Amino acid sequence: MKRATTDPWLARYLLIGVTLGFILVFLIFPVCVILIEALRHGLAVYFSALSADHSINAIRMTLMVAVTVVPLNTVFGVCAAWAITHFKFPGKSLLVSMIEIPLWVSPVVGGLVFALIFGRQGWLGKWLEAHEIQIMFAFPGIVLATAFVTFPFVARGLIPLMQAQGCAEEEAALTLGANGWQLFWRVTFPKIKWGVLYGMILCNARAMGEFGAVSVMAGSVDDKMTMPLQIENYYQALGPDSLSRAFALASLLLLLSAVTLAIKIGLEWRRLAPSYARPPKPELVH
Amino acid sequence: MSVAVSHISKRFETRGHRSVPALRDVSLEVKTGELLALLGPSGSGKTTLLRIIAGLEIADVGQVFFSEEDVTEKSAYARKAGFVFQAYALFQHMSVFENIAFGLRVLPRAKRPDAAAITKRVTDLLQLIQLDGYEKRLPSQLSGGQRQRVALARALAVEPRVLLLDEPFGALDAKVRRDLRKWLRQFHDKTHLTSLFVTHDQDEAFELADRVVIFNEGRIQQIGLPSELRQNPANEFVRDFLEL
Repeated sequence: MKRATTDPWLARYLLIGVTLGFILVFLIFPVCVILIEALRHGLAVYFSALSADHSINAIRMTLMVAVTVVPLNTVFGVCAAWAITHFKFPGKSLLVSMIEIPLWVSPVVGGLVFALIFGRQGWLGKWLEAHEIQIMFAFPGIVLATAFVTFPFVARGLIPLMQAQGCAEEEAALTLGANGWQLFWRVTFPKIKWGVLYGMILCNARAMGEFGAVSVMAGSVDDKMTMPLQIENYYQALGPDSLSRAFALASLLLLLSAVTLAIKIGLEWRRLAPSYARPPKPELVH
Repeated sequence: MSVAVSHISKRFETRGHRSVPALRDVSLEVKTGELLALLGPSGSGKTTLLRIIAGLEIADVGQVFFSEEDVTEKSAYARKAGFVFQAYALFQHMSVFENIAFGLRVLPRAKRPDAAAITKRVTDLLQLIQLDGYEKRLPSQLSGGQRQRVALARALAVEPRVLLLDEPFGALDAKVRRDLRKWLRQFHDKTHLTSLFVTHDQDEAFELADRVVIFNEGRIQQIGLPSELRQNPANEFVRDFLEL
């Protein structure tokens, strides 16, 4: 069968070759380097690198940040998507664009904005100091910076999903006497739960990997290092074990990405699944 | 229960500054136990009026009454008008049983029937719509006519005081349409539930309804018995629309 668009074979192989080449050089090769470097001195060294005080600290910090930020942005994302798809209000399209600001702004700039607000010389610096509230160079600051960077992920995925689904089922639930809470949990949430999970996974991956914004907020306080910051620290330290520690931590982040990717693919498959896994249609009886 | 709307007007904001009038000073009463048809070309405002009565849309001006009670300020959730949507709007992730039981399950605890009573009610309704044995199916596993009847049963489960149907047979093929039409008329003769349905099909309106309201461009053109409309069309539009 002749297809309508048949490229000459040369163009086809050239394009495929170029794509594969790029993937090899820019994606596969770095991953291999990380794994080789991390495991170069054997598993014993690898695990001792991971269990060094600084490493443990960084892993704990990263987990705590993710556990705080992901639920925060999930709640926000669902609220925003709901408001945008269910209500009419002036400035709606502007709001949709504004949610995406963190994707356009350099994370370092985002971090600097918070530093400008909460830092010692910042707008609220004096007041915070007087009340002994520590935001810069502390956990709250790191959470703020991470939340800023990962702000759009849940909302951005849900808005098109909820727009496509429309409000018909919600309206039906309303006329049947469901209140807002019942409406959300019984009707809307089951329709969007995979979308929410998808957004949370992307949000989590970004939250754990963020460097720029967090680096501004964490400064160089030793026990406030997240994994990416600690990797950089190890890498710059030039000590005897530091390079292997840097790559060991990096491999852990890599593992996280692999898990994220696996779940993402699983979810995508799952959302496609119903169309061909559906039981055969019953005989039509009118 | 009777339903009345009084001097309802509604404009829709479109992009830019122009707003389109959907309803202009509409007053109408559906008498207790009556089956009334809103008939008109598409875009004439009849669905908007139905949605305003249900509380899904808010009128710019005018009032809505359920019997003597002014429900203008009440939300859809408080009005609980039985509403059958044009595309059925069944809950896709719920079984037929759960779809029909939904209105009972969301009742406040004090008014909610127990599990056995809910099962009984749903089973009775399934029998009424001739779909017994289908309770475990998902809406996607039903034909159009079956979905339509489930949507109807779902609306009836909470014993609404009024039934509002938006183009109830619009998406069905001719045979199913005729059967369901007959079925609905019989159902209405049994229950005398005050009902209002929207259609653009004059045969459907004339065959099914006690009285017919003819709509055009957001205004009522004429209200009357089918025979009256045919004998004395009030204006050129009605004459034209009914092809007299």
